[in-house]
Amino acid sequence: MTVKDPVCSMEIDPKTAFATREHMGQTFHFCSENCVKQFDADPHQYALSGSATTGFNPDLRRARLELPVVELKDGKPQTAESVEAALKALPGVSKVNANRKTGTASVEYDPATTSAQMVTALRSAGFRVGGAQVRIGIENLRCASCVRFIEDELKSTPDVLSASVNVATQEATVEYLPEKTALAQLNVAIEKWGYKPRPALSEAPEDEQEAAHAHEYRRLMNRFWFAAVVSIPVLLTAYPQYVPLVRDWSMATLRLAWGLAALVTLPVLFWSGSDFFSGAWAALKHRSANMNTLIALGTAAAWLYSSFAIAFSSLFPEGTSEPFYDVVAVVIALVVLGQALELRAKGQSSAAIKKLLGLQAKTARVIRDGQEMDITVEEVLVGDVIQVRPGEKVPVDGVLIEGGSSVDESMLTGESLPVSKKSGDEVIGATLNKTGAFKFRATKVGKDTALAQIVKMVQDAQNSKAPIARLADTVFGYFVPVVMMLAVLTFVVWFNFGPQPRLVYALVTSVTVLIIACPCALGLATLMSLMVGIGKGAENSILIRSGEALQTAQGIKVVVLDKTGTITKGKPELTDVVLANSGWQIADSEPSSTLRYQPLAISDLLRLAASVERSSEHPLAEAIVEGAKARGIALTEPTAFEAVPGHGVIATVEGRWMVIGNLKMMNRESIALGVLEEKSKALADDGKTPMFAAVDSQAAGILAVADTVKEDSVEAIAALQKMGIEVVMVTGDNRRTAEAIARKVGITRVLAEVLPEDKAHNVHLLQADPAGKRGAGGRKVAMVGDGINDAPALAQADVGLAIGTGTDVAIEASDITLIKGSLKGVATAIEVSRATMGNIKQNLFGAFIYNALGVPVAMGVLYPFLGLLLSPLIAGAAMAFSSVTVVGNANRLRGFEPKFSAK
Amino acid sequence: MTTAQILVTAGGVALCIFIAWFFWFAPKGQTRAATGAGGAQEVAVTVKGGYTPDVIVVKAGQPVRLHFTRRESSACSEKVLFPDFNQSVLLPAGQEVTLEFTPEKPGEYGFQCQMGMLRGKLIVE
Repeated sequence: MTVKDPVCSMEIDPKTAFATREHMGQTFHFCSENCVKQFDADPHQYALSGSATTGFNPDLRRARLELPVVELKDGKPQTAESVEAALKALPGVSKVNANRKTGTASVEYDPATTSAQMVTALRSAGFRVGGAQVRIGIENLRCASCVRFIEDELKSTPDVLSASVNVATQEATVEYLPEKTALAQLNVAIEKWGYKPRPALSEAPEDEQEAAHAHEYRRLMNRFWFAAVVSIPVLLTAYPQYVPLVRDWSMATLRLAWGLAALVTLPVLFWSGSDFFSGAWAALKHRSANMNTLIALGTAAAWLYSSFAIAFSSLFPEGTSEPFYDVVAVVIALVVLGQALELRAKGQSSAAIKKLLGLQAKTARVIRDGQEMDITVEEVLVGDVIQVRPGEKVPVDGVLIEGGSSVDESMLTGESLPVSKKSGDEVIGATLNKTGAFKFRATKVGKDTALAQIVKMVQDAQNSKAPIARLADTVFGYFVPVVMMLAVLTFVVWFNFGPQPRLVYALVTSVTVLIIACPCALGLATLMSLMVGIGKGAENSILIRSGEALQTAQGIKVVVLDKTGTITKGKPELTDVVLANSGWQIADSEPSSTLRYQPLAISDLLRLAASVERSSEHPLAEAIVEGAKARGIALTEPTAFEAVPGHGVIATVEGRWMVIGNLKMMNRESIALGVLEEKSKALADDGKTPMFAAVDSQAAGILAVADTVKEDSVEAIAALQKMGIEVVMVTGDNRRTAEAIARKVGITRVLAEVLPEDKAHNVHLLQADPAGKRGAGGRKVAMVGDGINDAPALAQADVGLAIGTGTDVAIEASDITLIKGSLKGVATAIEVSRATMGNIKQNLFGAFIYNALGVPVAMGVLYPFLGLLLSPLIAGAAMAFSSVTVVGNANRLRGFEPKFSAK
Repeated sequence: MTTAQILVTAGGVALCIFIAWFFWFAPKGQTRAATGAGGAQEVAVTVKGGYTPDVIVVKAGQPVRLHFTRRESSACSEKVLFPDFNQSVLLPAGQEVTLEFTPEKPGEYGFQCQMGMLRGKLIVE
């Protein structure tokens, strides 16, 4: 009879057991010292486990569980019934209640039945259980038998639906009910078996990609080193006349050495260069050809010729039985090295995305069942309540429910000042909490958060195509077959007209043609630059939506700016307080003969006026109140407040009868304005809205309110004009106001009183404007707007730039989004576009020129004139480094710093 | 001209003609997407040195669901791009990745790896 070791579950003979222990009236036998030690550390745990497979003690009380069943929610009544039936069929399940509203089945069961069994039962009945999945790495997991123990331990952890451990990847994949199980409990389960959990290789695709790149790099480098080491002896025997010792070898020895070279280059071909052959074969099956085809053909031809030449040297004319194994080994070594270097350089190109992702918080402090726990941000569910302390990052998007704070949202919305948040306000993931603590309810997690959306958008744009790439694409389709034909042609020409030994010349030149041609450089040219350029934009808070937008932006000749909200802040502000020269009667209780007048101070007028306007809801009134507050003036409570629509307001403040309003109001109340009327006209000419204020029926002064220009609009517009771009302002406002603003920011061309629906038409007129140098084609016009009402104009323009927050839907209508509200972004966007397009052109030019010069030289066109022929070794080096050069040149863009950064 | 030269010349010309025919003029096999239960047109594509199948025919106006499985580690094919649809997706080796979009207009749209070495065509009818 055998017994089970409670620790490792091995079946052992109690007589030969390594040790025995008594615990809680039971006897336990152990197979090894290790198991005893584990048992001694926590005997209670093993004593309780009734079942070695589930780890559950059947004597424990009944358990309850809420299983989220995906198809159950709002399903038909029959669905609920079949869910219940499926679960009830399980032994040990006593009560099932499927709720179609919540989409959960609540189960009362004997803990001998595991939740994993329920999941299996539900699955076989055709339902899915909505659990969360997590992967946990397990360090040094070697013994395959331990896999089962860890799996069982994980499965027996409450609320775990399924668990599987993979020895190969050293990772456990656990499906669980995220409402309850915290990652920590799963880790404890692994630790129980003496293993150390570690974070799984991150599931973030970027990290995964990085890991894959590192792996691929090592793979390529191994192949390179092998080919490189083999190259050395092969090179030495290939040119015996130049190598001191080899020079003296007899022909027989040399032939033997060549035979050996044939053998050692075989693994170079089929291991180091296996990618070329498998790639070429796969392409051939699709009737297509690529770089792999060329390299495979070139090296295979060199090897086959060499082997024939040394094996049947008598068949070959004098001097042609020479091997080219050096070409095989060196070319493969170089091209593989080139691929490895290219991979490394490519990794740097995605730096911008990494920076964006770096904004994301790693963990969140959620409150579940009244308990605070730190979990990774991936585990946060919609509806979770999350606690955020000062100085911490907001982990996901949500709505604030308790507490309040100010949050720095500059990284996503461009709002430079911290935004105050109170209950009911939205908070955005990746923003920084500054002052207070608060709790919020998660509304968007994972790939739905604003940050994730931005990252997705940038990634999509990085992989889109610029129209300039079309030429390269067209060429690409014909490139490889044409090169193959040229190689054949070269062979024929050298064979017919070349010098002796003709066969050798013919072969070497045609192999060189195959090797030097580099279609990769063409394919990479636009893509790498685009990737870096769009990433550069993102770093400067400019989201460029596609390669096409990026390409068009460089040619912008006219920029149309919407006035309100784009050039200006879009919110009125108090700009001027003008006093009437009359004084202010300070004490009317004194006898009239001794009336003393004291000059009215600006702060007094502002205090009185703002106190009145406090009760008004007019936006202009708000500007006055804000203006007074900003100047540190304490306000008082008005009485007898009366608003006269279209005129103004009347109220009593501090015992004084105040009238504030427009000219009509003053006339209605028969208040003489005197010089104030003149002054108000000057203010109106300046684009401001003047309001008269009268104190005790005496005209006291003017309060002027205006939509003010953003701090850096002037600078940004000057920058655009300096770049040779005409700046046009378009607005629905009256001409006087519009021109006043235009004067202030240095715009000469103003389209005022344009109805929102006519903005697009105006953009169209500008596009067709014959004033443009290109005549009929018109000029490239960019439209910059901030709102949904600008959408038609944004769409009509060659490039639509939306000024807005990263969360705004308006992004959809635009080609480029300036996350920071500043107009400087327009200049930056154009700069980035110009730099990127410049880079693309360099790359394309380089790639075309390289092939256009390299291939003919390899064919030997220079031979009749200069006697110049390219060695296939040099061709291999050139080919390998041409694509590295392209990637390297694209990476140069990373160092580009826009002059007018919006940061 | 020697016999060898005549033979080589004739062989070369023949080879060139064959290359042109093989890569450009020979008809290519097309794979028509099967329409699944949900109305989506589904195709499984294997990525290894190329896309198999590489010419996919779908109907316009219906969602297309492409299941890519990359069976190689070469970094070249780690992304598949549909530039005309502004779609791109990372293909971790050995994992099935699904890309879904709806082509609205009939036409021929290329898809490719990042550097354009591997290419395929989506024909929308």
